[in-house]
Amino acid sequence: MPNDGNISVRVDGLVKRFGSFTAVDRVSFSAYRGEILGFLGPNGAGKSTVIRILCGLLRPSEGSVIVAGVDVGKDPEGVRHHIGYMSQKFSLYNDLEVSENLRFFAGLYGVDRGIAGDRIREAISLAGLQGHEHDLTGTLAGGWKQRLALGCALLHRPEILFLDEPTSGVDPMSRRQFWDLIHGMSGRGVTVFVSTHYMDEAEYCDRLVLMNRGRVVAMGTPPELRHLVKKGALLLAKCEPLGTALQILQGSPGVAEAAVFGNSLHVRVEQAEDALVTLPAMLESRGVKCVSLKPIEASLEDVFVQLAGEQSAVRGGPDR
Amino acid sequence: MSPRRLIAMSRKEFIQIVRDPRSLLIALLMPVMQMVLLGYGVSLDAKNIPVYVYDQEGSQDSQALLKRFQASPYFDVRKTVNSYRDLRYAIDSDRCKLAIVIPFDFSRKLRDTGFAPVQVIVDGTDDNTANLSKGYARAVIARFSADVQHNWLQRQGMPIAASNGNISVDTRIWFNEDLESRNFIIPGIVALVMALVGALLTSLTIAREWERGTMEQLLSTPITPSEVMLGKLIPYFMVGMADAALCLMMSVWWFGVPFRGTLASFFTTTALFLIVILGIGFMISVAIRNQLGASMIALLVTLMPTSLLSGYAFPIDQMPAAVRAITYLVYSRYYVTILKAIYLKGVGVKALGAEMTALAVYAAVIGLLATRAFRKTLD
Amino acid sequence: MFGRIFHMLLKEFLEVKRDKWERFRLLVPPLIQKVLFGYAATFEVYHVSTAVLDLDHSQESREMVSRFTGNGRFDVEALPSSSQAMRGLIDRSKITVGIRINPQFGELLRKGQTAPLQVIVDGTNSNTALLALDYVGQIAARFSSDYQRDYMNRIFPEYQVMLPSAKMEERPWYNPDLDSQWFFVPGLVGSIALMTIVNVTSFAIVREREIGTLEQIMVTPIRPIEFILGKTVPFFVLGLIEVALVAVAGALWFGVPFRGNPLVMLLGTSLFLISSLAVGLLISTTCRTQQQAFASGFFYLTPAFTLSGFAFPISSMPTVMQWITYLDPLRYYLVVLRGTFLKGTGLAILWPQMVAMAILGVAMFAVSVARFEKSLD
Repeated sequence: MPNDGNISVRVDGLVKRFGSFTAVDRVSFSAYRGEILGFLGPNGAGKSTVIRILCGLLRPSEGSVIVAGVDVGKDPEGVRHHIGYMSQKFSLYNDLEVSENLRFFAGLYGVDRGIAGDRIREAISLAGLQGHEHDLTGTLAGGWKQRLALGCALLHRPEILFLDEPTSGVDPMSRRQFWDLIHGMSGRGVTVFVSTHYMDEAEYCDRLVLMNRGRVVAMGTPPELRHLVKKGALLLAKCEPLGTALQILQGSPGVAEAAVFGNSLHVRVEQAEDALVTLPAMLESRGVKCVSLKPIEASLEDVFVQLAGEQSAVRGGPDR
Repeated sequence: MSPRRLIAMSRKEFIQIVRDPRSLLIALLMPVMQMVLLGYGVSLDAKNIPVYVYDQEGSQDSQALLKRFQASPYFDVRKTVNSYRDLRYAIDSDRCKLAIVIPFDFSRKLRDTGFAPVQVIVDGTDDNTANLSKGYARAVIARFSADVQHNWLQRQGMPIAASNGNISVDTRIWFNEDLESRNFIIPGIVALVMALVGALLTSLTIAREWERGTMEQLLSTPITPSEVMLGKLIPYFMVGMADAALCLMMSVWWFGVPFRGTLASFFTTTALFLIVILGIGFMISVAIRNQLGASMIALLVTLMPTSLLSGYAFPIDQMPAAVRAITYLVYSRYYVTILKAIYLKGVGVKALGAEMTALAVYAAVIGLLATRAFRKTLD
Repeated sequence: MFGRIFHMLLKEFLEVKRDKWERFRLLVPPLIQKVLFGYAATFEVYHVSTAVLDLDHSQESREMVSRFTGNGRFDVEALPSSSQAMRGLIDRSKITVGIRINPQFGELLRKGQTAPLQVIVDGTNSNTALLALDYVGQIAARFSSDYQRDYMNRIFPEYQVMLPSAKMEERPWYNPDLDSQWFFVPGLVGSIALMTIVNVTSFAIVREREIGTLEQIMVTPIRPIEFILGKTVPFFVLGLIEVALVAVAGALWFGVPFRGNPLVMLLGTSLFLISSLAVGLLISTTCRTQQQAFASGFFYLTPAFTLSGFAFPISSMPTVMQWITYLDPLRYYLVVLRGTFLKGTGLAILWPQMVAMAILGVAMFAVSVARFEKSLD
């Protein structure tokens, strides 16, 4: 952990309201130089709003936001030279050629003429688009577009990179390559903010901020977050029929939670040893065949389901 | 203001115009189409007015009068009918616009009482054509009347001097010597084309970035609002100036409209007008993120006032006072006045001082508002 | 089949109700256009700004000047003292007509010679100039004949009654005051209907294509013709309502008479709407985005207006242009509108227009439907 006090982003008590709707509710966190900070949460959790505020695209309603030493609330323009941003939707010009897009953004970021050529070549090779410099951007496949957009966001060598759901709609191979690039960035000391709703991608991050309904639910490294679940144990159950099993388990004593994951159930119990004995017997007695039941390591998705569940329980509202 | 960012923005915008066939069509084909269409289609001149005749008398005198109508280039005497019912049918079915009815006692009255009426029926549906043809008919009849008097006095052996009190109206028509409506309408069409092209193209520039999602990326860069505005408008300004040159060439070489002013004054005023139009288009585009809505509004605030309230075809000084007051707010009013003066009068900038000032003030205000219109935040 | 069409209709109606831009487009531009056109569009010359330069100062010249100052049409705004000054007034567009009475005007008249009355007119607006000249001519002629009669009366009282002259008695039919509003208001009904219907129809289908709902609808058992009917019938009804509104508002507000049979106008309107719907449909088959539809609509609407005779008489156009106007449905519709409004004509007179619109409408609709079905594949 680069926890050397070298803070590049500090957010304190951030609130963003749209009319009467509170999209971001008292969010605080810090990010350190060279760190990959992941924002995790379902759609509408407020991840994109936080990132847009950090980029100065939206003004905070309350709280302080310092990015690269600049108070974004007071000087949204001042932060632009230090950051690169890649939005949720692909947002380069489809009717411009690859090299024209890069030249355009190099111009906007004020990249020195002398080095702009080199930077553009670098961006092209980073995106693996050699030989496609004069293709219309609109004709590129999704993965290439994403990497080109990343290349554009990096032309001016920003200290901090904001990526809002960068891999949505991109095939798994390309996602993998994309993450390799992000790791490369962080290796060079660039702080990277990534929002995603792919739980598997969260494992690539140094630290995670879990958000739900505008609030930070939890924060920490992936192992730390997984550890949060270990109040109790997680079991994987394969049962037949699944639906009846779920119904039975949800009401049983000793079971904290049961949820469907693919074609099996994740069951969180207070005591693994006891449950491994009692549960199969109970299920069999109610006519459900228990094919297998074994303890497993909690995934981030389990963490999220648990934490989000606790939050709704506290607020008393129905879960989305 | 960084020249580097400005150039990058303008170059991008220019590539997009050139690469989008629709913008190109609007930018290049639209002016030509409008010029040809309006140049040929818009004419107020009444020529070859279809005329029916109902000659109740059939005398030498009545025939002499009718011959004069036949000889007039304004009238096309098509048919002689024998009843009012036929006339009515002819006018109802648009077969004729004007009918001459010569009463059965025409020659007798001419001889005995010295006063012979000739009935001229005009189809009042189109009031302007009716007014013009009425005027031509009056002139024909007056000339006939004068000749009859002249002959009569001669036959009476009276001195010609007795036909006293003759006044010859000695007309000098300035600026548009042949009174061709094309000459006064075509300069106005230049304004119409500029308004149309400028508004349609610029009203979309910002809206398009929103709809295609490229705006967020643009906003996250260090570019300033005034750089966005200038960078986006410079290419359209150049397109507009090129269109103006195209319109000028077509009007002079194709339609033969006289151009008596200087090119410098033409392009200076056109530049001012373009700043106004583009600024308005840009502000609309900023305010309305929906491309469709933006183009609708753009037409409403540019094309509509330019075609109706600028005086390009409908004379401003004949409008009701309230409407005339509104025209002072219509920037195209000044441009059209200047254009007509430059084309037909050839007067210098001095005589047009008031209009020039008004247009310049308009351009300055709109330009200033446009730089402030664009905000670099999402909320 | 009717169930499916009904559901299409319902959906269309709901969409119009919810879409802010749709409502805007249906209401605001037609209203503004109507009012502006009604008031601003006139070719008539009600007042001519005039300057009179009297270099004679005789009794005759003063009489002549008073004829101009006493005439309601001429606003004598200046009495310049030199030709130079008068020239300046015209240059600066302060006046349209300059009347110059030369020295010896009265003397010439008294000697029985022809006295010239010099009229300088700013020809920039040829139409205004022509009409103004006609009015000047009328004043001069009246002065002349009055003077003559007076003279004859004094010198040859016995001949006075006999001096022959032919006078024009004008009878403007259908629009006795030759009021411009009577000309433009019926025409506006047609042009507003055309603009609204072509726009709305082309957009409605293109939008479905753009957001992908067209595909969704086409995988249901609906047949193309049902889809087209479901799409066009609401706009047909909408068009009828709009025409009725604009016509009634125009007639009441601007006091334009309606002398014909409303049913004849309804028939003409229906035939015209069919051709307009067909154009909208045709545009929607060739365009992929609403933007394209907007531009294409524009490319159709401008010539359709210019060549319809809405403001500029078809008979003054070059022959080739006149041929093209026969392809413009608006041309026929305007004849029907002006006929029913002002002339009170019926089918006996208007049937050729009806037939022409029916032929154009059906042909255009057939082509559009064929193209549309193809564009779905």
